[in-house]
Amino acid sequence: MEQATNGKCLADMKRLLAKTTKPLVIWVLLSLLVSIPVYYYVVDTVWLSELDEHNEIIADKTVHSLNRMHLSAAELDSGVALWNRIQPGTNIEKLPAALPVSDSVYTLEQLRSYAPQQKPDRFRCLRKRVEIKGASYLITVSTNVEETRETIAAIALTTAFFFLLIVSGILLLTRRLSRRVWQPFHHTLDQLRAFHLGKETAIQFAPTDIAEFDELNRSVQELVSHSLSVYRAQKEFTENAAHELQTPLAVLKNKVDMLLQDKDLTQSQYAIAEDMNRALARSSRINRNLLLLARIENGQFSDMSVIHLNGMVYEQTAMLQDHLRSHQLELTCNMSAEGYIRASRHLMELLLNNLLVNALRYTPAGGSIVITLTGNSLDIANTGMHALESEGLFRRFSSQHADNSGNGLGLAIVKEIAHFHHRDVRYSYADGMHHFTLLL
Amino acid sequence: MKVLIIEDEPELSQSIGTYLSAQGYVCDFAGSYNAGLEKVELFRYDCILLDMMLPGGSGMKLLDEIRSEQRNDGVIIISARDALDDKIQGLHSGADDYLTKPFHLPELAARVYSVIRRKQFANNNIIRINELRIDLPARSVQVHGQVVALTKKEFDLLLYFIGNRNRVISKSALAEHLSGDIADMLDDHDFVYAHIKNMKRKLIDAGYENYLKTVYGTGYKWEMPG
Repeated sequence: MEQATNGKCLADMKRLLAKTTKPLVIWVLLSLLVSIPVYYYVVDTVWLSELDEHNEIIADKTVHSLNRMHLSAAELDSGVALWNRIQPGTNIEKLPAALPVSDSVYTLEQLRSYAPQQKPDRFRCLRKRVEIKGASYLITVSTNVEETRETIAAIALTTAFFFLLIVSGILLLTRRLSRRVWQPFHHTLDQLRAFHLGKETAIQFAPTDIAEFDELNRSVQELVSHSLSVYRAQKEFTENAAHELQTPLAVLKNKVDMLLQDKDLTQSQYAIAEDMNRALARSSRINRNLLLLARIENGQFSDMSVIHLNGMVYEQTAMLQDHLRSHQLELTCNMSAEGYIRASRHLMELLLNNLLVNALRYTPAGGSIVITLTGNSLDIANTGMHALESEGLFRRFSSQHADNSGNGLGLAIVKEIAHFHHRDVRYSYADGMHHFTLLL
Repeated sequence: MKVLIIEDEPELSQSIGTYLSAQGYVCDFAGSYNAGLEKVELFRYDCILLDMMLPGGSGMKLLDEIRSEQRNDGVIIISARDALDDKIQGLHSGADDYLTKPFHLPELAARVYSVIRRKQFANNNIIRINELRIDLPARSVQVHGQVVALTKKEFDLLLYFIGNRNRVISKSALAEHLSGDIADMLDDHDFVYAHIKNMKRKLIDAGYENYLKTVYGTGYKWEMPG
């Protein structure tokens, strides 16, 4: 069972890691996606404004150069024509003086005239009215600029590359870091798993420089020391209760023994004293059993060893021979297999004894008790007239018999002992027999 | 024979004292750790009855004191603590026996008797009463030199009666002695008859005089002078 919990824990751990990395990766993806149009807008704007400046410079430089040259009007016209032909980025044409043309800046897409190419090129253009040698000219400067889709594609490609770089980095780092970072946590977990209240040893955590784990360790330490002090107080109470109750019972018992020595005792007084003896024996047994239950609940048994059940069954039944005979009961032991259980010897003896005594008590004279031991269960069956109410059968003081001489704690103790050893004990009724089965 | 009773409950130590005195023991009392320590340091005792929870210190500590002085007094722990660990610890620390409260006085007397026998006649622990000879280490019984084959329970019963000579012993005390809680849980004290009857018959067959008397219908008394 511990293994299963362990495995589940590890699976959860992986999910915990995924839980932190997944939103991180999504956030990176979203940020980078948003960055693509932003980058495009920024790059394009910077680029276009730079090109506008460049076009302006070219136009100014061209006009300035033409103005400086000493050319006649005819030479200027042929010069301009030649210019237009050999200089691909600019175009100068004469304007009628009256035509009002305002300066403009625009982007143009056109196919190349000299090559059979399908995709249009993008140009950034400046159209400006200038004065050369007193005449009005319209100068157009166009510069090739990277196409929108190409810019976007380049940015997207770069972004995708960085996205992959960041994500693989995150995955690698978190995986490697988590192993190191969680180490103190696992150490704490191991300590807690090994901790046992009954052993009363405090936990010592290795110091850690991680604030959260340090806090966890300190909280656990506080919890543990609090539990230990509560446990000690409870144990003290157990001991005190034993002392306080057993002593007056001892006084009473001894006084009855003294009474029996009285020379003037009559036979009827003796009978009363014997009745008192029985009542005293019963109350001290109830007291002892209550303390035993408290001790089992507190887990105050640590004498664990592997017990050979076959041997223990023989020992316990041998002790009951007298009573089997006087109750005229037949005992059968079917021990086909060797039964082993890792348990407290003292408690297992009590469990077996309680079940056997229970069977002895409630079997009518001439009935039988059958003990069956297989590899995975120990079954004690006894003759009975009708099935018992299984509801509350193992509860304290829930005697189902009109005969009230039992102390109502026997089966509760059986249940607690089984529970203490992480075992289950069940009641069933079949073929006129009560069955109490301990699952090994 | 001197017995020291270290017990803080006066009612209890008084009953124990009265019962044991009638058995011929000389009883001394201490009600606290310090009083107990003082008595133990000043006097020798054949048997010390030691309560575990004492005002002023634990009985276990007192036991360590007694044993550290190389004293060989018999020690019987009488404790309200029933925990197995306590019993083991007590016996490990050198106690000769451990009795859980509440107990029957005849049970205590029988144990005091056998602890003293064991301590004083370690290698030659043979009880001779008239024609009866009991070899305790060998657990064998002879009457007029003739071996009587007693079962374990019959042998225990015989010792119990000899440790409680001339006292009235109730059937419930005997049942508790023979099978602890079980007899009581089963409300079954009749098996006591069977064991006593068998023991008696075996001894009488071997020529032993019948000292065991039935009193008040269900009680017993081993009547024997001395």
